[in-house]
Amino acid sequence: MTGSGRRLARRVGAAAVSAFLVAGLALFGQAPAASADSGSTLIVQGDSFKSNFNPWTSYSSGDKDIITNIYPSLTYLDEKQKPAPYLADSWTTSSDGLTWTFKIHPDLKWSDGQPLTAKDAAWTFNLIMTNKTAATSNGALITQFDSVKATDDTTLVIKTKVPVADMLFINASGGSQPGIPIVPRHIWEKHVKDLGADSNLVIPTVGYGPWTLTDYKANQYATLTANKDFFLGGPKYDKLIYQQYNTPDAAVAALRSGQLNRAGITAAQRASLQDDKDITTYSVLGDLFLSIEINRGATTKSGKPIGTGNPLLKDPKIRQAINLGIDRDTLVKKVLDGQGVASGAFLPQQYTDDWQPKEKITFDPAKANQILDDAGYPKGADGYRTDPKTGKELSFRLGTHSDSAQDAQVAEYFVPWMKNIGIKISLEPMSFSLLNENLAKADWDMLFDRWGPGPNPTYLLSTQTCGTLPDDDGQNGNTDSFYCNPEFDKLFALQSTQVDAQKRMDTIHQMLQILYTDGNNLILFYANALSGVTTNQTKNYMIGTADSAGNYPPQSIFLSWRSAEPVGGAGSSTNVWLIIGIIVAVVVVVGGAGTVLVLRKRSTADAKE
Amino acid sequence: MAASGIDDAALTGGAIAPPVRRGRRISGSYLLRRVLLAIQSFLVTLVIGFIVFSLVPSDPAQALSRAQVVTAQQMADLRKDLGLDQPIIVRFFRFLGHTFTGNFGYSWEFRQSVGSLIASAIGPTLLLMGSATLISVLLGLWLGVRSGWKPGSKFDRFFTGTAVTLWSVPTFWLGMMLLVVFSVGVGPLPRLFPAGGMSDPTIDPHGLTHILDVAHHLVLPCLTLVAVTFAQNLMIMRSSLVDELGNAYLTTARAKGLRDAEVRQRHAVPNAMLPAITVIFLQIGGLVGGAIVTETVFSWPGLGLLVYNGIKIPDLPLLEGTFVIFSGSVIVFNLLADLLYRVLDPRVKG
Repeated sequence: MTGSGRRLARRVGAAAVSAFLVAGLALFGQAPAASADSGSTLIVQGDSFKSNFNPWTSYSSGDKDIITNIYPSLTYLDEKQKPAPYLADSWTTSSDGLTWTFKIHPDLKWSDGQPLTAKDAAWTFNLIMTNKTAATSNGALITQFDSVKATDDTTLVIKTKVPVADMLFINASGGSQPGIPIVPRHIWEKHVKDLGADSNLVIPTVGYGPWTLTDYKANQYATLTANKDFFLGGPKYDKLIYQQYNTPDAAVAALRSGQLNRAGITAAQRASLQDDKDITTYSVLGDLFLSIEINRGATTKSGKPIGTGNPLLKDPKIRQAINLGIDRDTLVKKVLDGQGVASGAFLPQQYTDDWQPKEKITFDPAKANQILDDAGYPKGADGYRTDPKTGKELSFRLGTHSDSAQDAQVAEYFVPWMKNIGIKISLEPMSFSLLNENLAKADWDMLFDRWGPGPNPTYLLSTQTCGTLPDDDGQNGNTDSFYCNPEFDKLFALQSTQVDAQKRMDTIHQMLQILYTDGNNLILFYANALSGVTTNQTKNYMIGTADSAGNYPPQSIFLSWRSAEPVGGAGSSTNVWLIIGIIVAVVVVVGGAGTVLVLRKRSTADAKE
Repeated sequence: MAASGIDDAALTGGAIAPPVRRGRRISGSYLLRRVLLAIQSFLVTLVIGFIVFSLVPSDPAQALSRAQVVTAQQMADLRKDLGLDQPIIVRFFRFLGHTFTGNFGYSWEFRQSVGSLIASAIGPTLLLMGSATLISVLLGLWLGVRSGWKPGSKFDRFFTGTAVTLWSVPTFWLGMMLLVVFSVGVGPLPRLFPAGGMSDPTIDPHGLTHILDVAHHLVLPCLTLVAVTFAQNLMIMRSSLVDELGNAYLTTARAKGLRDAEVRQRHAVPNAMLPAITVIFLQIGGLVGGAIVTETVFSWPGLGLLVYNGIKIPDLPLLEGTFVIFSGSVIVFNLLADLLYRVLDPRVKG
């Protein structure tokens, strides 16, 4: 074969391969979307999972979302976010509140057919209590446990050192902070020595729950297969897939094209999805607050000052003025596009019987100015106030998360509001890591902060207790804002032992009032959780009914994924455009190759002549 | 015309040389010198990398346990487990040990050895970056040759302008635009490609079906990368070829009766290829580095996405491990480029 002949052959070959690839890819282009493909597969956007489905050691919320669906707990959070019977059909508490007796549902089996009994639960708790690695994920929840025993296959007895008020919450599946999972003893007792190195990625995972983990690809997806015989009611879908999308825009693109059935969205995306007839957007009352923490004089446990906080913020008048200078309603309207609740409360209203501070929070810059005038901080010619004792301006640093658009948006309003009352704010955008590092060293005046406590407030309230302050060397602290108030600590200890829910709530209300009055953490708002669902493919996803503002109550993945069901008849429609595209592509490629062939032949012929 | 700028000096310079001398050998001492230099570069890079990562402000224990109920004792234990209580010199030698044993330590966030994480992510990265680089190189060189052979032509102006424009476009923006247009569909254009990931979890992950599924997912990220990178190949090839245009050996070739295309392909292009080779090898060296932005936008599970996920904590063992791989790869391919250059270009002496 001549050189030009070889070239021709190569070109024709390339054209054929191209045609094949184009046709192949285009054919796959008509692969049906998300649920339509397999008929009963629910595909939801996965929170970032870190390849660790080990129930003893997992930290990440994405991993816990999976774990809570494949391992059982004693209780689960019902649609009102109250603990309801799961493995435990019922329970009783002794009169001193120190002994809990749970009756375990009989005749359950793990996914490998072995019996699931109270002995598995007792073994799980005992390992957490005695093995440091096993305690990694949930050990802090049961520090007050004294002993756990299974007196028979259906009776579990937990004795505690003091009454444990949140016993039913710390054992609840679902919710934003899932409770302690019970694991199959016959599987895990072989791995006790290497718990820390076990990511529990043997598929299918032996467990019990509405779902079983049956496939997993790191940083891509996790597939859960329905346990149709689940005794609380099996899922309607056959499969549930958590698929990872790393940017909100890509997730929404997948939602719009039907590759995802459910995705979390932003307020701006919600607006853009309003006209999409296949997608319904939902707004759920959120439990994640955004606040501005104030360093009101950080100290160590022994009372030794620490860090570089501006001492002027110790003055309650200044903190009160700052609070009055914030227009929370405007923030909700402008930053959250109305999708949130303005609040100054340290806990969300849906979990505290709608508690609000005694003094209604108002935006009153005139009053704020008056308070600062009366406190002796005169305004200078530039509009900023000074402290006459030191001659220094009322100028404070505000640390923001550099990767948070919300922080930046709020700061755009906050800085001029503060200027309006004579306070200068210098923004200090920082990485998540640097901000945390500065927080721990108390090298800050104000910081943006976010917390989502879930229905059990014990841990979040604990971050405000004196015990979380660091030692004198700055180590061993776990404080949120260097807050320390002995009166608050007493109430914290009291609520943690009040098994009576109403009495406990009364105590929590007192604690909230103290936090609000002391003003160390200015809560701005609770952003609603927004989501988009392909309601042309999926129905009954939402649990509960919306309030007058259209907001749904907090949702639980333990319930939502079971409740969701495919819309009958939803399926792929043949995509005419794709078929046309295939034909055009093939014609163009093959035609082009033919043209080249002819031209080259002619050219070669000319050369020969 | 391409051959119009011939000068006499070039003619008399007797530049009739065949385009490339082949079969030159690399001496053992030259090879040894280059390898030692590469090792030295690698070691210096390791030290610098470790120092830089050590300066990153972080409290991984707190970041990891954020929103997690933990006791102060657990926090202290966690810091100890992560090795944060050890002096920096101990941590450095541990890092060196991990590097040379190839397991790169233990990821704080993923709770797996960094080596296994890299092993699972390197395949997707090589697939994406390999195909993108291959297309980018072939397309860029082909366009560069045609543009450079007739500089100022409509073809040259159009493709050079397009390439430079795409080169200037932010990668994430282009990726997002392609997502909107081809994944969601615009107007009558239906959705053609998936919005992210490497495969469809509902499709059987074996056989030809899986291969085509991966190819289907590959199109958009690959297109994004090609669009923003082919310009460098085009420009280097074009400018290199333009430099060759006035040389006498081309006139000689024409005088021998060769057609224009043959003069270009057999004589001009091989000589003009030399600068392009360096650029190509640097690109190959950067292959494993992945494309953090593209992999993140398209949720492509490669090394770039791994790095992105490791940054927030920050997961220092993971970042250090990937850094070693990235820098090592660049150094190795730089070395290969050096050696190959010596084989291809008779003017380079060892």
